[in-house]
Amino acid sequence: MLYRLILAALVAAPLAASATALSLPGTPPDSVAVPGPPAATRPVSASNPLPWYRPSHVVLQTGGGLGMIAGGAGFSLKDRLDLDILIGYVPEKYAGSALSLVSAKLLYSPWTLPLRDKLTLKPLSVGGYFSYTHGTINDEEPDQYQPGYYWFSTDTRVGPLLGSRLSYALPATASGRSRSLSAYYEFGTNDLYIVSYVQNRRGLSPADILTLSLGLKLDI
Amino acid sequence: MLRGAGLVGVFGLLSACQLVEFSPNQAYVPAQERGLNGQALARLQTAPNPDDTVRFVFVGDTQRFYDETEEFVASVNQQRSIDFVLIGGDISDFGLTREFRWVHQRLRLLDAPYLTVIGNHDLVGNGRAVYREVYGPLNYTFRYQGTHFICLDTNGREYGFNQQVPDVQWLQQQLADTAGTRQTIVVGHVPPTDEDFDPLVVPRYTAALRDCAGLVFHLGAHIHRFTVGQPYHDGVTYLTTYSLQKKRYHILTVWGQRKFRLETVTYGVEG
Repeated sequence: MLYRLILAALVAAPLAASATALSLPGTPPDSVAVPGPPAATRPVSASNPLPWYRPSHVVLQTGGGLGMIAGGAGFSLKDRLDLDILIGYVPEKYAGSALSLVSAKLLYSPWTLPLRDKLTLKPLSVGGYFSYTHGTINDEEPDQYQPGYYWFSTDTRVGPLLGSRLSYALPATASGRSRSLSAYYEFGTNDLYIVSYVQNRRGLSPADILTLSLGLKLDI
Repeated sequence: MLRGAGLVGVFGLLSACQLVEFSPNQAYVPAQERGLNGQALARLQTAPNPDDTVRFVFVGDTQRFYDETEEFVASVNQQRSIDFVLIGGDISDFGLTREFRWVHQRLRLLDAPYLTVIGNHDLVGNGRAVYREVYGPLNYTFRYQGTHFICLDTNGREYGFNQQVPDVQWLQQQLADTAGTRQTIVVGHVPPTDEDFDPLVVPRYTAALRDCAGLVFHLGAHIHRFTVGQPYHDGVTYLTTYSLQKKRYHILTVWGQRKFRLETVTYGVEG
């Protein structure tokens, strides 16, 4: 069922994007040479982008294998590429030991669709994550196993992500940058689940290996 | 206070739906999937065979063989009068909750109750906590038709050979508890002949088994093949079984005084 939903979202996303492009007939094509106003008279850009190395937003999320609760900050490039660094936590009650996770998520969102008033939608975010888990019960001591005893890492996971994001425009910052509060969901999985699925395509379905994260993003 | 309770409620709801996974290493499952060994034993004791014969299936290492597990279940369900199925450890490959659940979704379709002993792969990451949640204690015993089964964690390497695993003192206590016992069977994933068994515990472990007059044999898995013999030349028989991937399993029948029969079943092999 969820698998179908993702497929539907994937199919719908480019259609929606082309629909909005068509609905703006007044936009001049790029090739027309219209001399712009001199640089000095140009108003201060409303977007006034941050340099890439300054965090542009904070994040809070649950699930996705990155913590019961995970928070952090992220960098944004051209409002399309987001790199989020998160610290996550799972209490002992849910894992047998308290787990701390450090993860990095890279997501590319090619389209932004205005919905109404202050709402915009990024219908497709695609990317991946890397996570490191600290605090597992059996933490692989240096001399415990000979090299290659277990071919996989017990604490480092990687996996793909696919989701959407809905944003609500907030009043701009003092320096004129636009801000918004976004809610997002991401479906994902991890390397070990993928291996399990690939070798058991009769017994397991893609839905068996899916994880879901739900989160909020606030521009700063 | 109320807000805190609400927050706990929200997380409870999210965690009940396993899609929102906090970590692949998490260790909780829905209530009906907890303590499965205990549930199986309760089922076993409600319908005991009238005679003194115990007939059970023994196989190891279901790890990451979900397609094969379905074939295994179909084959075992065709066997007559099986009292229970014993899985010799390595239920999972990565010690992850979802793997345990995937295996259980298939093994619960067995007509007979199934029991497990913990394997080294089940102890990877937070597997120890996952096994406890899903199956119950790592060391446990049960009696069926006068036969005392002692199932214990023998995966010494997973504890860095700390000389505590297997727990020989606990084993000796169980072996000494002979009330209502005609004979005894000890089950551990890693056999003491293997290099993953704590070498410093081997002498104490094998001595404890040697001193048990009613011991039928010691059952193991881990090495993925059938072996049987008396490696310590002390009258104690050690047996290991196939991994599930080999499409073979054993049916063990024990009766009388330390009498047993071993059958090998091959299934689903083409050609």
